[in-house]
Amino acid sequence: MTIRILVVDDHPIVRQGLKTLLEGHSDWQVVGEASDGAEAIEKAKDLTPDVMVLDVTMPRMNGLEACRLLRRQSPGLEILFVTQHDSPQMMREALDAGARGYVVKSNAARDLLAAVEAVSQHRVFTALNERSFPQLT
Amino acid sequence: MKLRILLADDHEIVRRGLRALLEKHEGWEVCGEASDGREAVEKALQLHPDVVIVDIGMPNLNGLDTTRQLLQHDPHFKVIVLTITDSDQVIREALDAGARGFVLKSDAARDLVSAVEALQNKRMFFTPRVNDLVLAGFLEKGQTVSRNEAPKLPTLTAREREITQLLAEGNSSKEVASLLNLSTKTVETHRSNIMRKLSFHSIRDLVVYAIKNNLIQIELPPPPKTPAGPTAA
Repeated sequence: MTIRILVVDDHPIVRQGLKTLLEGHSDWQVVGEASDGAEAIEKAKDLTPDVMVLDVTMPRMNGLEACRLLRRQSPGLEILFVTQHDSPQMMREALDAGARGYVVKSNAARDLLAAVEAVSQHRVFTALNERSFPQLT
Repeated sequence: MKLRILLADDHEIVRRGLRALLEKHEGWEVCGEASDGREAVEKALQLHPDVVIVDIGMPNLNGLDTTRQLLQHDPHFKVIVLTITDSDQVIREALDAGARGFVLKSDAARDLVSAVEALQNKRMFFTPRVNDLVLAGFLEKGQTVSRNEAPKLPTLTAREREITQLLAEGNSSKEVASLLNLSTKTVETHRSNIMRKLSFHSIRDLVVYAIKNNLIQIELPPPPKTPAGPTAA
């Protein structure tokens, strides 16, 4: 099944990495890129992707705000967060904002393909690291 | 002959992006990748790359200490550091460590190729902010007090810095010992020396120290959403 994906991250080098990984899948197509939440909303309107791969921390408008707005603007779009924040609280917030998936950036190469596959079928996919924080003992 | 580049970043997704960017350039090849500083040092000694690109915020051994260790082994290594911040302190430390290139991660797609080209031509590459800072430091020379001077702290040895990072990342003394091939007792001795030198009493103090001194870098989450509604005038 062809899946059309929009990649959103403020670092071009990360977008490039995500793109290389996603385009390794023959049926998937990265239809566009955006570097902040506001641009993501604009591009989602024009390009109508199936899945948005979205970062949390970005300038202008962060990913959580964008996700809340996108839920209203593009109800058919599935949102998958790929973020530095390896935290259960942040994951909760992302799901509450309307995302269907949550993957930690350091594990993206391992988890991203399975996550895109799942959310494109409207299933939830979340993965955190086992140990998320330094132990303060 | 191709220019051989070693890439060190803890995020595979970033390494993929960097590799795609660098390998578009004719005559360059990425000869190896490493996911932390220790692996970067090992691979550099094995592969003898022409250029080593290291991320500053790597686990186990950060990019600044990686740069120091590489240049201790062989002063001919040419290192470019990638950083998420160009604060004065990080710039100073990168220059002190001996980096020949300094590129902001957010600008890597634009600057990294120029940085590698500069090193290839035996020049250095720094962001405009670094150039400003170096010039400011030069002009300030001779004055008694430097405005931006970092607070004086007791100096930790390279080994102590390495252990501080590992402890601050949540490893126990036993885990640090196994990572560094040392006995737990040796690590415990280093640990109490570090705590004594810095006058610290808890690992919590050490974590704060490690963050403040760029041994570990953290990305802060966005501020919580403020509830919409009328505000008092």
